[in-house]
Amino acid sequence: MSDPLLSVRDLEVSFDVGRKGIFGKPRLLRAVRGIDFDLMQGRTLGLVGESGSGKTTTAMAAIRLAQSSGGSVMFDGHDLLGLPEAEMRAQRQHLQVIFQDPYSSLNPRNRVGAIVREPLDLMNVGDPGGRGQRVQELFALVGLRPDQMTLFPHQFSGGQRQRISIARALATNPRLIVCDEPVSALDVAIQAQILNLLRRLQDEFGLSYLFISHDLGVVQFICDDIAVMYLGEVVEYADRPTLFSKPRHPYTAVLLEAAPSLKRRKSSGYHREGMVKGDLPSPMNLPKGCAFASRCPFAQDRCRAEAPALRDIGNSRVACHFPLD
Amino acid sequence: MTPLMSLRDLRVEFDTRHGRVTALSSISLDVRPGETLGIVGESGCGKSITALAMMGLVPNPPGHVTDGRIEFNGEDITNAPAKRLRQLRGGDIAMIFQEPMTSLNPVFTVGDQIAESILLHQNISRANAEMQVVELLDTVGIPEPEARSKSYPHQLSGGMRQRVMIAMAISCRPKLLIADEPTTALDVTVQAQIFDLMRDIQAKFGVAIVLITHDMGAIAEMTDRVAVMYAGRIIEQGDSDKILDNPLHPYTRGLIGCIPVLGREAASTDRLPPLAEIPGVVPPLHLLGEGCAFAERCALADATCRSMRPPLEDKKGHPVACHHPGEVLAPGAEVSV
Repeated sequence: MSDPLLSVRDLEVSFDVGRKGIFGKPRLLRAVRGIDFDLMQGRTLGLVGESGSGKTTTAMAAIRLAQSSGGSVMFDGHDLLGLPEAEMRAQRQHLQVIFQDPYSSLNPRNRVGAIVREPLDLMNVGDPGGRGQRVQELFALVGLRPDQMTLFPHQFSGGQRQRISIARALATNPRLIVCDEPVSALDVAIQAQILNLLRRLQDEFGLSYLFISHDLGVVQFICDDIAVMYLGEVVEYADRPTLFSKPRHPYTAVLLEAAPSLKRRKSSGYHREGMVKGDLPSPMNLPKGCAFASRCPFAQDRCRAEAPALRDIGNSRVACHFPLD
Repeated sequence: MTPLMSLRDLRVEFDTRHGRVTALSSISLDVRPGETLGIVGESGCGKSITALAMMGLVPNPPGHVTDGRIEFNGEDITNAPAKRLRQLRGGDIAMIFQEPMTSLNPVFTVGDQIAESILLHQNISRANAEMQVVELLDTVGIPEPEARSKSYPHQLSGGMRQRVMIAMAISCRPKLLIADEPTTALDVTVQAQIFDLMRDIQAKFGVAIVLITHDMGAIAEMTDRVAVMYAGRIIEQGDSDKILDNPLHPYTRGLIGCIPVLGREAASTDRLPPLAEIPGVVPPLHLLGEGCAFAERCALADATCRSMRPPLEDKKGHPVACHHPGEVLAPGAEVSV
């Protein structure tokens, strides 16, 4: 098998949350704890989890948009975390991001044509005379009309703005795009348009996506491999068919059970089994054992005493003492 | 059976900078005692305004209820005096909103806020009300209810706050509970908990629920009957099972088809086929013409659709507003975007 495009090992991110009182000890919040994953060229890796699970922080640290406190990231043969600033900047054209909120991620005072062109100018891609032409091509690619280039972001709907974000991300011919919940702010009908577009562009340009989402339906549609995150750690890592047909970690099973589905009908007396209680615990005082133990329906003494390591079970990697069959 | 809540040909208009705009027209709905009715549609389709109208809460100005009737338990409350509406709200009709943080007062404890609602509607002592508060918090699954009743909203998580809202809503044993996207701001596992709680409460107290949502999955799991809205009108209505299994309106079919399938049945090694798309966007309300509001986005639309609005009438099993209900395009005729 060929080398992965992006290879993350032991990634750690901590935030300094200040002292408790002026004589208190400095406190660290360990938002991402020892994450490993590989993303192959042309494939999509999903990072799934609830809010606060560290999925966005992981992705941003992996492309050095957030400061990491440990670990290594190899991108196409470069050690991203060790690169000097200037060389990192040169790599940026291969690494682009599509953000969640298409309302706040586009500058309201710029015309959208200029927004899409900006990365080309900043990174000096192509000759300046041809950039206008390139912007037109990008607009056509994402399903917008060239005459819309002179409009401002507020003149577009949410779905159209997300198309503009996609055009901007594609401008420099990147190899990897981090999609941070790109459809969660959109209505379902528009969501389908954007998901289909993302997949079509992937086929056309051989793009790799690091796809962050809390919606398992979306993840099942677009991702090839999935890492399920809980409180800053990967608890299950598997390819799509394996994860969805045979979830091994109780948390993955809970997520699948929790997601609404057209198949579950009130008329047939649907009743949810084994739902977790309570909320995500605070990352400030992590439990000694498994982070999920406080909510897990199958937790035993060992889970509360000893943190499980990620290990191979069947085709999955699971961090659980008592994985499901 | 007499309906608990009934809207008849309701029309709501808003004054905007584009002039008078019709936000709701010809809305007729019944909510029966003890059932769950879903109202589903995209943002801007009028589902929240419908909910507000049920409680006499259409903001005025700029909104006006210009036609139709709103009946609660057989009583016409369309033009009921403010005092009567205040008795009903929080009493017989209660509401849960989307964002629990903004609907709770940050400077009072949650116990105080629930007690306030009880004291307004029931003639009991403060001490008695406080006992009821603890019981209610226990009913909605809040651990250590006595201690939690003294917490301020910011000390609780999103899911806990929504439980507090539900405790407040059921404090006076309402007959009707209106839930406007109650789980949109919450994580999936917490959403599941809140849905389970709403079902338990319905089973326990027999309250009727109106669930406003954009999620067809929530409709399947939670509702007995459903009304699908588009651009201020109901375009399809009936038993949830019928609508989900045999959607007649192309818009309803689109809403169902564009949801990514989840679960074992879709867990193949092959790529999943592209999602069904509804091309385009919802038209702005002030630009609606004479024809069907969905015609511009509809692959089945013909000249009739563009010139004449289809009425909501019984066709092929349940009410639908479409000139071509249940028809499918010939293969290959699909319009791509």
